Amino acid sequence: MRTSTEILLENARAFLLQAQNPDGGWGYRFGSPSATEPTAAVLLALAPDPDAAPATEAARRWLRSAQRPDGGWGLDPEDEESGWMTAWGILGLARWDPHALEVARGVRWLIGLPVLRVEAAELTAEVRRILGIDPSLRGWPWRPGEASWAEPTALTLLAVHAAAAIEAYRDRVEEAVRYLIDRRCQGGGWNFGNPFMLGAYLPPRPHPTAWVLLALKALAPDAIRSEDREALRAEMHRDGGAMALALGQMALTALGAEDEEARERLRALQGPDGSWGQNPYVTALAVLAFRGGWPWLRRG
Amino acid sequence: MAAPRLTRRAVLRLMLIAGIGGGLAFAERRTRPAGLRQFMTWLLRGWRRRVEPPATVALGASLSYDEALLRDALTELWDAAGMPDVAGRRVLVKPNLIEWIEGRSLVTAPEVIGAVIDLLRSRGAAEIVVGEGPGFRRDAGPVVAQSGLADVLARRNVPFVDLNYDDPQPVPVRDGWFPGQRQIWLPRHVVEADLVISVAKLKTHHWAGVTLSLKNLFGVVPGIRYGWPKNMLHVNGITPSILGLKQALPPVVSVIDGIVGMEGDGPLFGTPVPHGVLAVGKDPLAVDVVGARLMGFDPEEIEHLALGIWAGIGQGVHIDMRGGALEALRRRYRRPPK
Repeated sequence: MRTSTEILLENARAFLLQAQNPDGGWGYRFGSPSATEPTAAVLLALAPDPDAAPATEAARRWLRSAQRPDGGWGLDPEDEESGWMTAWGILGLARWDPHALEVARGVRWLIGLPVLRVEAAELTAEVRRILGIDPSLRGWPWRPGEASWAEPTALTLLAVHAAAAIEAYRDRVEEAVRYLIDRRCQGGGWNFGNPFMLGAYLPPRPHPTAWVLLALKALAPDAIRSEDREALRAEMHRDGGAMALALGQMALTALGAEDEEARERLRALQGPDGSWGQNPYVTALAVLAFRGGWPWLRRG
Repeated sequence: MAAPRLTRRAVLRLMLIAGIGGGLAFAERRTRPAGLRQFMTWLLRGWRRRVEPPATVALGASLSYDEALLRDALTELWDAAGMPDVAGRRVLVKPNLIEWIEGRSLVTAPEVIGAVIDLLRSRGAAEIVVGEGPGFRRDAGPVVAQSGLADVLARRNVPFVDLNYDDPQPVPVRDGWFPGQRQIWLPRHVVEADLVISVAKLKTHHWAGVTLSLKNLFGVVPGIRYGWPKNMLHVNGITPSILGLKQALPPVVSVIDGIVGMEGDGPLFGTPVPHGVLAVGKDPLAVDVVGARLMGFDPEEIEHLALGIWAGIGQGVHIDMRGGALEALRRRYRRPPK
């Protein structure tokens, strides 16, 4: 007899297969144009499922064709610029082959990506006063030449980790880990970038906190504090959306601190069509949460 | 044959040409990155605005969030402000849903959005969509639910679109406010709208001074293209980005919810100000000038308003007030921290 989680996963898979676009990718909504992030996320969610092999093969073809000549990925093949979705392009393909040529080209693009960094002493002091951060540390930006932010930094670290390329870029990776630690909110967790602005401490947010905890778990587990975990738990419940609950549960699973209440809340949010909000990206995250978490990290 | 002689007149002519050339080169350099031609376009348009007819802004006073009263008040203000005919048009209603923090008056009140929708329905709008792309929320859904907007929309059967994920389309940038960029990506529902109604909150803002119906347009920039927050807008500069978005969008009109405003450390951590006002107008610059004055600011203090007036983005000089008297409704909001 099938368990309730098995039924949930089957229904989710049925939705995802139905929502796949004829070009092989997935969009952010049923019927919307294929984009790199949802396509790669669904690839991770369906990867272990042999019945989904034709769908995942088509999706990998889409991802490969969406890679830009510079090695990066944009929002979709029409995008004229590579950006943060490069991390997702790598993750989607590295799930099958971490040493694939496309993966290596994507990693090289990310490593060479220019990031806004403040180095002048007087500017550094001013930024420290206003934002409470060390602006000389580089993470990764959403788009080339912009400032570093928590989520693209964490996603890039996870992509480099999935591509088994940490050792090749050790210095850059360690700087990015220091960046993440520097941006920790007072009391734990992460906001989108700065933890402090003009005299006010910013609250942690569930989505960046979950991604950062996954990245730290992969690369610097000793840097994780119990208050980060508790911040994530509190914030994902306060948010209450499927995206926050799925991501939060994935990160907590990696930390060996699964949250039963989050699991049940997430279960209750699944629609009759098997999806979470008819959104392939969120549905993929939910599937990953129910399947045991981030594919490259062991539970606990 | 005699060698050509440089006459005094020729020397003077050469000096004049060199002077003009040098002056143009200096002006070109001083007006970078927009360039002299764009600079002159702004300047002349700003001058022209000074001789153009006034914009109309209607002010409602002593209001509360009672839905029936709000609907009547908004209808009256809409007509007084000479707002556009919406019959048969696709309308995107853009509230400010920046974030939700329990107990803080951060967002456009859902009752105001409800009143706008009822008015649009009564005037025969063909399609009404409410959309927002918060800069600090990866998922707008919880803000919509927690603020009470989800109930308001469900009762009226109006969809909400998270603009951060709404199939971005490239749109040419206009008017020189995004130097170096040929196009900006905007959500499908924004690009396809016949009219955007910026339904903003009357608040102070620690970077922009105030956040009203123009600054509220930051929320139309899609996160999946530009990230969370939309760092491109800060890299380009807050002021040019505000003005550039206004110019890149379909026609925008404004409603400002100042029934409860925010002073001090806005847009997130300020203090609520029960103010009871609602401002309505079809020229967002004029409405924002009135909004800034309602909070006790001189519009010249607010960079994007001052530059918007100078460049003639709208009519910010001559404003015909209807409804409540601006001077009587003016408060002095506590300034945001520098």
